Amino acid sequence: MKKRRLGFISMLLAAALLAACGTTGKDNNDTANNTSAAGSTSAGEKQYKVAYIARAQSDSFAAWLANAVKEESTKYPNIKLDVFDGEANDEKENSMIENAITNKYDLVIIQPNNGEAQRPYVEKVVKAGIFAITTNARISDIEGASSVDANPYEQAAVNARAAINQIPQNANVVVLDGPSGNFHADERRKSWQAEFFDKRKDVKIVGEQIANWNKDEAMKYMEDWVQANDKIDAVISMNDNMAAGAIEVVKDNPKYKDLLVYGVDGTAEACLLIQEGKMTSTCMQSAYDLATKLLDTSNKLLTGAEKQIDTDIGNPLVTKDNVQEFIEMHKKSGAIK
Amino acid sequence: MSLQKNNVLSTVTKKYSIFMILFVLFVICSFANPNFLTANNLTNISRQLAVTTILAFGQTMLIISGMLDLSQGSVLALSGVFAVSTYKATGSLILSMLVGIITGVVCNFINAIMVSSLKTPPFIATLAMLTMARGVALLFTKGQNILQLGDFIVFGQGSLGVIPIPIIFLIVIAILTWYILRHTRFGRSLYAVGGNEEASVASGINVSRVKYKAFIINGIFVGIAGVLFMSRVNAGLPNGAVGFEMTALTAAIIGGTSFSGGIGSAAGTLAGAFIVGFLDNIMNLTNVDSYMQQIVRGAIIALAVIYDIQSKNRRTKSALGRIEDKENKSEKA
Repeated sequence: MKKRRLGFISMLLAAALLAACGTTGKDNNDTANNTSAAGSTSAGEKQYKVAYIARAQSDSFAAWLANAVKEESTKYPNIKLDVFDGEANDEKENSMIENAITNKYDLVIIQPNNGEAQRPYVEKVVKAGIFAITTNARISDIEGASSVDANPYEQAAVNARAAINQIPQNANVVVLDGPSGNFHADERRKSWQAEFFDKRKDVKIVGEQIANWNKDEAMKYMEDWVQANDKIDAVISMNDNMAAGAIEVVKDNPKYKDLLVYGVDGTAEACLLIQEGKMTSTCMQSAYDLATKLLDTSNKLLTGAEKQIDTDIGNPLVTKDNVQEFIEMHKKSGAIK
Repeated sequence: MSLQKNNVLSTVTKKYSIFMILFVLFVICSFANPNFLTANNLTNISRQLAVTTILAFGQTMLIISGMLDLSQGSVLALSGVFAVSTYKATGSLILSMLVGIITGVVCNFINAIMVSSLKTPPFIATLAMLTMARGVALLFTKGQNILQLGDFIVFGQGSLGVIPIPIIFLIVIAILTWYILRHTRFGRSLYAVGGNEEASVASGINVSRVKYKAFIINGIFVGIAGVLFMSRVNAGLPNGAVGFEMTALTAAIIGGTSFSGGIGSAAGTLAGAFIVGFLDNIMNLTNVDSYMQQIVRGAIIALAVIYDIQSKNRRTKSALGRIEDKENKSEKA
């Protein structure tokens, strides 16, 4: 009886696995929906295999970018895109890069989990004669590898430059940092230091903690800071998730109705908060713009139009004045219903 | 007489040491920062602790019976996003809570099948569930946060009179856990199974049923925690609550639940959770650096585990001593 039950469960697991494989296959076909046969398009044009290795699908920005890249790839009939999830794990991501070399992809796009940990593997891709593009964040100075990114220093700087005139004299501010060692987290904090704190010596930091990009961690810190300080004039956050967490704590408190809150990313939630007047500004890091540039760069490299490309997307500041256009963008993507 | 008094004192000290530590910490925190002892701050701490303490009660029952659940954070995220989506689709708070709870129960039922029927070690079974549940949550939401929750936030941010709703859930679950552990046959079975599984089988306890029940109760708690968490952060976060199972385990272990099973209590876990909460809170109020906070948390876990091992060794030694004494007496006789 026990053996029969075990056999039944094993069969169920095997069926689930097969069904999952079937679904993945379907997705891949959807991605390359203009494909008539592997290796060539209906027009007889050569078809290129591109691997997109995402940092982690559990990271909401990375997931947005992966979805945008998938969508953009449908505009290129000569590109067949496969997406892989690095699961925020260096070891896993590096293995996926090696697999992409073994599977003879024509081009590999890598969104590093930790730039330096992936550097030797990107070098391997180039050595194998395969095109490599690093994105969000780029790994710089690899000869033969291209890059498409946003500039994290500038992303924070556009907010900091606006804050210089907005944050009142002798203000108390709190700072929410991203994970230490993360390129974007470190560059954004450096930018706030150089562009704001060094110029506004009157401003006092009354609380600063690493909230790891997380909304709930930021909420916890903000709840404690509100207790510890009579006055907080501004929240300076290295991303929108954490900024939204801080706002959640004080949103119904009239004492904080003039609180200034700065973030980076331009998430759907941040755009809605800016529209409601609860958040001051953010810098749009558009996954759509990154995806457009990534596929355009891939196409140019694969067709031999260019040998190496290093390019950045823009860093538009999102404020109450221009937020509507970004809300429309999020509505188009389905992030805002 | 004096020896008897010392023994009583020693037993009381051992039994209530966790509450004494909590009290001392409370007094120290009160002096360390004037904002600590305000009603608002204490409410904040309770609200912050509600989700992980509810998880800790589930963990306590499992650990007492010799198991554990590493998938709590992922199952919480899955339950939460399913509950949020249900609310967005139907507008029903009750239905969304039910969906959250059912999701937690289904995941834990699978855990129970793996552990009890397929004899997979709980560590491995729940580790597999940790990955699967997170995967389903991400697949379901395409990795994107669900926004604009409307009245769903009442669970995590609302109050009944002056008492925040998460705290009401916490109190009810604390009482329920205490009652199950202290006053039910199932509670006694949990201790028996965790203390000695073979002896429990020999004494007629249906071990498999006990394990299933423990996982299902844990599933209910995780489902409720999922709804409270998403409601508190006002978003359906498929990547939220990462590592919450570790915080829950820490609260249970600091509260005196023994990793080797058979020992633990609801009151101890509640005290353990508050020790962690008070420490986190006072470190934030006094603006202690992030890295230092991590060191302090790590040190506390290490101390709790060392204490657990030492007391286990002491118990073993004293049991061996008693056996030797008996043998010596019978030899003399």
